[in-house]
Amino acid sequence: MSASRQDQRTGPVTVRFAFTPAAAYVRAARLVAADVASHAGVVTGLLDEIRQAVGEACTRAVLRHRDCNIDDLVRVEFSIGDRFVAKITDNARVMRAQPEQRLARPDSGGDARPNDHDAIEEDTLSEEITLIVLGGLVEDLVVSGPDDERGTTVSMSWPLPGTAPSGDH
Amino acid sequence: MGERVRGSSSDGAPEPELGLNLSVVGAYSVISVSGEIDMYTAPKLREAVRQLTAEGRMHVAIDLTPTEFCDSTGLGVLIGARRRLTDAGGDLVVVCTNPRISKLLDLTGLDKVLDVREAVPDE
Repeated sequence: MSASRQDQRTGPVTVRFAFTPAAAYVRAARLVAADVASHAGVVTGLLDEIRQAVGEACTRAVLRHRDCNIDDLVRVEFSIGDRFVAKITDNARVMRAQPEQRLARPDSGGDARPNDHDAIEEDTLSEEITLIVLGGLVEDLVVSGPDDERGTTVSMSWPLPGTAPSGDH
Repeated sequence: MGERVRGSSSDGAPEPELGLNLSVVGAYSVISVSGEIDMYTAPKLREAVRQLTAEGRMHVAIDLTPTEFCDSTGLGVLIGARRRLTDAGGDLVVVCTNPRISKLLDLTGLDKVLDVREAVPDE
């Protein structure tokens, strides 16, 4: 393999994808995050943090879609410029679903069990814990939205060593 | 003596595995968790705890020593397990020596809520 760790590019690089809001795909998203970050040159010590943070943000997005009973894709975008930036966007236009809404849901898309109070309570806990974990883990964290037209976006960034364009290819 | 639980999918694609090994140490029924605990695999751990309580085993230890990854969903399961066990007169011990998971417990304050130890009590 002849590719260098960092591509020789002058402009920002973007990796963008979307996934069905199901638990099974959160792992794929966090693994892609760590891989893209590694390829961007993020220091090894931060890769676990990125994997964890992107996983938490995607988990939160899936839970929010599940709460609102929407099947829209969860959108993920990584960009590599001065910093490594990750953005995870959901399409749930409420700030927080109530546990009662979860209990009333006739169908939860296969992952959750709507008649399972323990699972629902733990999901509620998990959604709250995701933000606590993100707040503690990520120095540069912004959660924006929701509004009438879109859901929330979790934006996070991490430093890249040597922000000048590399000439070592 | 161990029990491995593998995920399955409707399309037959390979799934990440959550390994649950069951054993007994002293008064505790121990679930040793290997693999990655996230929102996909966490229900298996929740179910394992529930099965133990259904069998009347109220002193449970969840050993995260071999766990490679744990997210907030996993933490939610730990909180739920502790609540169910203490409500039933039992207790939950979380065994954790993994610095990444310890950091999560610290960040969330759960290190003060859960009974976190470096080993299963053997008395």
